[in-house]
Amino acid sequence: PLVAPVFPAGKEPLPPGISEEERENFLQAKKYQDYMTMGMESCAAKTVIAGVGGFGIGAFFSLMSSSFAYEDPLLRGHPSGELSRTQKASEVFKEMGRGMWRSGKGFGKVGALFAGIECVIESYRAKNDMVNPVAAGFVAGGVLARNAGPKAVLGGGVAFAAFSAAIDL
Amino acid sequence: MSFLGRSGGSSTGVNPERVEMAVQELDMITDVFNRLVSSCHAKCISTRYAEGDLNKGESVCIDRCVSKFFEVNKRVGEKLQSMGGNAPSGQSAFGSL
Repeated sequence: PLVAPVFPAGKEPLPPGISEEERENFLQAKKYQDYMTMGMESCAAKTVIAGVGGFGIGAFFSLMSSSFAYEDPLLRGHPSGELSRTQKASEVFKEMGRGMWRSGKGFGKVGALFAGIECVIESYRAKNDMVNPVAAGFVAGGVLARNAGPKAVLGGGVAFAAFSAAIDL
Repeated sequence: MSFLGRSGGSSTGVNPERVEMAVQELDMITDVFNRLVSSCHAKCISTRYAEGDLNKGESVCIDRCVSKFFEVNKRVGEKLQSMGGNAPSGQSAFGSL
């Protein structure tokens, strides 16, 4: 570091602690490490990580809110004499699981969409400022509201852009 | 001081010129490297340091900056070469650009 690359190829100085015979292994290890870093910083990896994170957060929120859910056993479809206790309990848990999956999917979609679009915009502009998350929020909000007409697309885009500007300040 | 092929196997009597050329080339490479680093740093990295690592935008910018620098170098060199074929003032002006 901080030295101009003026060494003939194959004779670059090794970092301290690595002897001359381990040069090949060191170069191999360095190559794989560079690939790992490049992969981690790529747009696809960021989208996947944001999607998985969004899924986890959505599932967690749904889990927490299912404990406050309004529950009336008479509104359930089954006559309550038919099922044993374990079956009723498993019904409750299955409902909870379905809710977690649904809300996790929603949050995961939002997160992955936003992160992917922001990464693409940033790779294109080659700048890191406030415009990236706002534009990405606008596009992501528009995509999420695409089934509800053009005014809803605009409104959703503006709202999501404001939200992502707020979280990125 | 003339090792004309008899001793130790080192190169023959053009040794001082080769050394001189090698030193000049080393100087040129170091100069290009320093210019490249400072110009791409000035262009790509904003003055507000939010974290120590490079952002995605900044690393993309640096890749593009390095590639453009060498492309510009190559094109200007080619033009100067073609100009230097007509007039003999090509070579010395190159290093000071």
